[in-house]
Amino acid sequence: MKKFGKRLLCGLLTVACAATLLTGCGEKKKSTFTVGFDAEYPPYGYMDENGEYTGFDLELAEEVCKLQGWDLVKQPIAWDSKDNELNSGSIDCIWNGFTINGRENDYTWSVPYVDNSQVIVVNDKSGIKDFAGLAGKTVGVQAASAALEVLEGDQKDLTSTFGKLQEFGDYNTAFVELEAGSVDAIAMDIGVAQYQIESRGGGYSILDEHLNAEQYGVGFKLGNEELRNKVNTSLKELKKNGKFDELAEKYGLSDMTCLSE
Amino acid sequence: MSFPVMLSELSEGMLKSVGIFVLTLIFSLPLGLVVAFGRMSKNKIVSGIIGFLISILRGTPLMLQLLVVYFFPYYLFGWSIGGWRFPAIIVGFSINYAAYFAEIYRSGIEAIPKGQHEAAQILGYTKVQTFFRIILPQVIKIILPAITNEIITLVKDTSLAFSLSYMEMFTIAKQIAAANTTFMPFVVSAVFYYVFNFVVAFVMRRMEKRMAYY
Repeated sequence: MKKFGKRLLCGLLTVACAATLLTGCGEKKKSTFTVGFDAEYPPYGYMDENGEYTGFDLELAEEVCKLQGWDLVKQPIAWDSKDNELNSGSIDCIWNGFTINGRENDYTWSVPYVDNSQVIVVNDKSGIKDFAGLAGKTVGVQAASAALEVLEGDQKDLTSTFGKLQEFGDYNTAFVELEAGSVDAIAMDIGVAQYQIESRGGGYSILDEHLNAEQYGVGFKLGNEELRNKVNTSLKELKKNGKFDELAEKYGLSDMTCLSE
Repeated sequence: MSFPVMLSELSEGMLKSVGIFVLTLIFSLPLGLVVAFGRMSKNKIVSGIIGFLISILRGTPLMLQLLVVYFFPYYLFGWSIGGWRFPAIIVGFSINYAAYFAEIYRSGIEAIPKGQHEAAQILGYTKVQTFFRIILPQVIKIILPAITNEIITLVKDTSLAFSLSYMEMFTIAKQIAAANTTFMPFVVSAVFYYVFNFVVAFVMRRMEKRMAYY
């Protein structure tokens, strides 16, 4: 029994040592900055021509890291698991066209940097011109998205006129469904809508009426103000030195930015 | 994105899918045998517990199990789970597949007539010798087609690793499809899966033929 006890103690010590080593690594890692993003969300975060992850938000994060002397780690995440990933510390922040409105108390937020609207996209052939035309139609919306929140919240009177609200996983599938006629309209962020319509060579329009106006920010784990403040400082500096506007122009988002010095 | 770049990106993802596949087989095939013994144990408590675990593992979605394996160390104990992502995938896949393999092993072991055990005993074989020299070779022969079924399913199940944000082939296909607003990557990934499974089925058939010695 004594022998067994000794062995057990030895084993425990080994585990403890290993744990110390691991946490030691964790502390050294402070100079990395892990951004969680949905890699199916152009133009904010996506895979470019060469198979590299890029986008407005990721390039912005890259610039922030340069200023802070951090190494950027781009971690694509399953959007439904974003809270688990953030709370468990697998990622340092969610930086991905991330809507603040309606989530104010769920995350520690950076300064807002993009003015966004949730809009409705329709197929030109459908002849839908305004919200009234959506009555009885099937409207698609991404699961767990800000657009869905709006449709179930502030705009629920409008939603009740729809024939059906169809949730889907990604916009690519949704657009194919729109093209094939199985959905009549899609609710989404205006920046994403513009990218999708442009890269598909037209044939779709954004309704003039918008569902709401909202803002994007970087979401940190609730209470992580230290990291948030550092990122805020760098964001403002990027606005001052013109780098922020340069990136906005590159991704066609100049009309939508709202970051002030 | 040009076609060659797409192919090379998807191939890179395929390597990761194959990694999950190979590691899962390495761990779950032996683990399944251990679990099968537990399931057939004469000890009611042991066989009861194992039976319960198998029913949980087979009765809940693999995707859910992966999420549980990955996030629970944090939610239960507050441990940092940095670097746990890939191990969690392998652990999740391995225990899930071990449960299925265990039942396949059991079906094979129980198909062997009791008379063989008795004959071996009379000839002076120990229980361990009886199992490894007489029973197991026949069991493998019986269960190969069922194992092939599971292995082919495993190839396709590797795509579930996306729920833990692991960049295996199908996740990459979805990302390329999103950025380029096309369905082409899905066609390519279908071909990748099919070719891989074709090879798996071919290898398993060869094994079955080699086993057909009587």
